[in-house]
Amino acid sequence: MKRNSYISKVIMCVIIFLLIFPLGVVLLWSFVKIWPWPNLVPRDFGIRAFEYILNPNNKSIRILCFSVCLSSVVTVITLLISIPAAKALGVYNFKGKDFFKILVLAPIIVPTIAVAMGIHVAFIKLGLANTVLGVVLVHLIPCLPYGIRILTNVFEIIGESMEMQARVLGANSIQTFIRITLPLIAPGLLSAGSLVFIVSFSQYFLTFLIGGGRIITFSMLMFPYIQSGDRMMACSYSIVFILSTLVILLIIEKIVRSYYKGENYFYM
Amino acid sequence: MYKKLKPYIMLAPVMIIILGIFTMGLVLGFFQSLGYFPVIGLNDFTLKYYKEVLLDKSFIDSFKFSIYISLISSVLSVIIGVLLAYSIFQSKHKKGIEEIIYKLPIIVPHSIAALLVYNMLTQSGVLARVLFSLGFISEQAQFPSLIFDKNGIGIIVTYIWKETPFIAMVVYTVLSNINEKLAEAALNLGANKRQVFWRIILPLIMPSILSSFIIIFSFSFGSFEVPYLLGPTNPKTLPVKAYIEYTNPDLTHRPYTMVINMILTFYSFLLVWLYSKTFKLISKFNG
Repeated sequence: MKRNSYISKVIMCVIIFLLIFPLGVVLLWSFVKIWPWPNLVPRDFGIRAFEYILNPNNKSIRILCFSVCLSSVVTVITLLISIPAAKALGVYNFKGKDFFKILVLAPIIVPTIAVAMGIHVAFIKLGLANTVLGVVLVHLIPCLPYGIRILTNVFEIIGESMEMQARVLGANSIQTFIRITLPLIAPGLLSAGSLVFIVSFSQYFLTFLIGGGRIITFSMLMFPYIQSGDRMMACSYSIVFILSTLVILLIIEKIVRSYYKGENYFYM
Repeated sequence: MYKKLKPYIMLAPVMIIILGIFTMGLVLGFFQSLGYFPVIGLNDFTLKYYKEVLLDKSFIDSFKFSIYISLISSVLSVIIGVLLAYSIFQSKHKKGIEEIIYKLPIIVPHSIAALLVYNMLTQSGVLARVLFSLGFISEQAQFPSLIFDKNGIGIIVTYIWKETPFIAMVVYTVLSNINEKLAEAALNLGANKRQVFWRIILPLIMPSILSSFIIIFSFSFGSFEVPYLLGPTNPKTLPVKAYIEYTNPDLTHRPYTMVINMILTFYSFLLVWLYSKTFKLISKFNG
């Protein structure tokens, strides 16, 4: 009995170590000045790479801000159109519901490259290729399944009874939505919003193909460094990428919590 | 009347996007794969491109390579993920650890995951340095090339790094919802811990293991970034091959790209179908 729990503890620690350790190496590499083979630790440290990234002349920060804005727009649009769709799928019964459920989740399973290459010519014809609008539209495809999936689960749990009560007591539909529905689904919005933002923010191929090199996001900016094996630059960009994602997620959480603080205690 | 239409109206905005971009993209790709591409003057439907691609040896190699990578990485991710979830579940102080482990790989995109593995496994990487200082190898060249190699080790390790936490998260959620009394009852009746795992716990978590297996398998099968960054020149995985064909300036090559894309799509649909079949089978046995 006791030996067994030791073994499982060792297994747990080993796997967790293997998952976390490479990230530590990336953090280390981003502060390296010289790290020649076969030294186990860097010979000299420096922040040259971060100086390069933070230097306004290199546009990295501007591209980072643009990326954050782009993904925020994608997230807001995704949530706005996911809420009614998720409510329909979660609360109502109607003909073809199962078909819609599968269709809505299909973009997770079908490779995005097949969709992107197929639609590319149409986007060029419509003048959507190489534009921000085109990139936003095509980002919606991998994002929507996550938004709808999470919010559908939420609507399945809360049902419609709370909203019905508000309506019976004389609230109009806008009041009901803002005062009842939104606070109820706030936790779901938080997780859906975070995930959708991450999916959009880390998108490389779709932006690259539909943006045609004109629309440059942060994940496109760091790709060539990874491709060429320039470790110091690639690791620094990665650290900036991960940190900015974490900060944004924190901000999303703060916003949602501050709006609906203490109002969602009847949720679950 | 309005009541009946309401759900459809609520679904309309999402459907416009999904039908207009997702479905349309697949349909247009399908037409091009049949040789219908009016922009460059191809107006006849033909199966010629399918025949050529399916008989092409390099396509067969790519196909096998893709299946091999997805299968190995997904099976190993599932095994390690279940081990991780089960060991976290068994250890008492679990608050906090799992939160970080689940979140980090979600935040780290595939390109950075490829970089992590690149750092570890190249001939000048961390693993080679450790082996050198332990005296196992005496120079860089003795370390086997695990990146850009024909066995796709680098790609497989990247997928395992990225997907293990996902599996662990799914399995852990199910594990913590399983009624503990079931395991206790089995223990009371004389089963040992191993039997409890194989006979009680595994069957209960099997459906979620299968569904997450399908998701990570189809994802790694159709994903482009990791094999593009870490894969060998030959054989290429199908998505990389499709992309290389796509960038060919000769537009008459376009139908070949689309054939590969359609085959990728076909296999992902096949997987979903298989998944729903097995799912039904399992739930039948569970009563």
